[in-house]
Amino acid sequence: MTALSMAGGYILFVFSMSLLEGSWSNVVDIFTLDHTGHIQVHKDDYAKRPKIHKTIENPTVVETTLKNHEDVTGWAPRVYSSALAYGGNKTSIAQIFGIDPEREPTVTRILQKVSAGKYFSAQPNADGYFPAMIGRGLANSLKLDVGGEIVLISSGADGSIANDIFIITAIIGNTTSFDRLGVFLPLTVAQEFLSIGGEVHEFALLARDKHDNEQLAAELQSLMPSLKVSPWQQIEATFYRTMQSDKQGNYFTMALIVFIVFIGVLNTVLMSVLERTKEFGVLKSIGCRPSELVKLIFIETVMLASISITVGLALILPVIAWFTEVGIKLDISVDMGGVVFDTMKGDLSAYVVFMPMGFMLLTAALISLPPGLRAARIQPRVALGGH
Amino acid sequence: MKTVIETKNLVRKFGEAQTQVTALSNVSTHIEEGEFTAIIGPSGSGKTTLLQLIGGLDEPDSGDVFLSGTNIANMSGKQLSDFRRDHIGFIFQSYNLIPVLSAEENIEYIMLLQGVDEKDRKTRVQEMLALVGLEGLGDRRPSQLSGGQQQRVAVARAMASKPDIILADEPTANLDSTTGIALLDMMRELNAQMNMTFVFSTHDQKIMDRADRLIHLEDGVIQLDEICSS
Repeated sequence: MTALSMAGGYILFVFSMSLLEGSWSNVVDIFTLDHTGHIQVHKDDYAKRPKIHKTIENPTVVETTLKNHEDVTGWAPRVYSSALAYGGNKTSIAQIFGIDPEREPTVTRILQKVSAGKYFSAQPNADGYFPAMIGRGLANSLKLDVGGEIVLISSGADGSIANDIFIITAIIGNTTSFDRLGVFLPLTVAQEFLSIGGEVHEFALLARDKHDNEQLAAELQSLMPSLKVSPWQQIEATFYRTMQSDKQGNYFTMALIVFIVFIGVLNTVLMSVLERTKEFGVLKSIGCRPSELVKLIFIETVMLASISITVGLALILPVIAWFTEVGIKLDISVDMGGVVFDTMKGDLSAYVVFMPMGFMLLTAALISLPPGLRAARIQPRVALGGH
Repeated sequence: MKTVIETKNLVRKFGEAQTQVTALSNVSTHIEEGEFTAIIGPSGSGKTTLLQLIGGLDEPDSGDVFLSGTNIANMSGKQLSDFRRDHIGFIFQSYNLIPVLSAEENIEYIMLLQGVDEKDRKTRVQEMLALVGLEGLGDRRPSQLSGGQQQRVAVARAMASKPDIILADEPTANLDSTTGIALLDMMRELNAQMNMTFVFSTHDQKIMDRADRLIHLEDGVIQLDEICSS
């Protein structure tokens, strides 16, 4: 029963961990693959205080560095600005996103976010107008649709007034998307519109292993010391802190479950010591030191925990492997900024398996101490049935 | 002859105030190396208490116990454990073998505590089993052995650590007469062969008949200390 409760505790712990890590991994994917990427490169403090003139002056150097790094699987240059947008007789503020039409899909899920029309190219139409894709919120407020004209007015980096007409080729996302008021322009078009030449404000990139992005960011920073390389955890610091707080809260709950399981185990081990009083009395009488009895109880408890964990692991491993690969189809799908998620998945990693294992072994080791000390204090005379 | 056990004015009381019982009252005696001694007396006379004090399983209220010249009253718990492990072998009335260990493992365990290497342990276990006539039964658990066989394992365990003294608390009390006699003859033989000191607490006439010396205890006081002619 003790082994069973420990195995059950381990299974519960690993499953909860897998679910928690899987859910957050999903959220991080939604977050990073929607726009942020795993790492961003900027000039100076552009990420905190964006200004149109804070541009990466020599983007080809960055491109070469990213292209040649084996742990960078995708990268995309971007420019940003704000603008006033006109559609017919309606106006709205808008956010300009200058993106490379070919490179942007290597970093984000923008292709999946096209809710109407077609993803654009950098080519103008037959009348010489360049294409634009606009957010659903902007399309609604300006009463525009695919094929319509949008007029943008902004200021260039050189202080000039920037204004032009663009033809809408696609609507992006939905009214809750972060880019609902966005106007996506081809990178070269946006650069010309904002008079920033061939310079860019940002590179977003994906790491081969998203869990190693902070390490990769540090490595890239050393390769590009004049620029600021930031992992998404710094770019979206508030979100990251929220996620960490939530995880810690959940870890605490899980630790509490294991603690309760081990209170039961402690009771069992204490009872077992009580039942074996005579045995320990004999061991002491033949020369077993008190510390050796503590060691004996310690080894027995940790061994019991190890066997339980092994059994628990054998039972839960196929479950979380399936949960990670296939997952559970949700009855109601969730629209996260235009990207639909309909499957809840777990996470199978060394952390998910070994963290609960380490925690349980440590707890087993700790709870073996009170029974061990009790056994060590047994008096042979009393244990053997003396006065 | 060398004195291996000496007690000086041992006093041991149990209980509090009005319910207090004096188990031993100023008991002084000494036992020489190689003696086969029986402490005898009626139930409640203090035999087991004296044996436990000699074995360091209990502490006197006053008085001293010297084993091979060392006063065990001044020892710490750890020192006393080590002393018991290396110098004293115990045989109990109800055998007190570890139920989950085989006969071999029960005998081997004390040598494990002594830090004897595995090869020597295994050899000595087989020697001990042969000595007590249990060859071929080493892999049996205590529950698979008869009472007499279990007590033989207990004797083998007590002797495995090569102690100076073997203390036996009513070792034949749970055995039938024939088995008890066989066991006693075996212990007497071991005593003669190895010059090992045996001290029994008993009221079994068979032990008294084989003892070199009888210490009569009554109400915690030595009434008579007689050397027997064998």
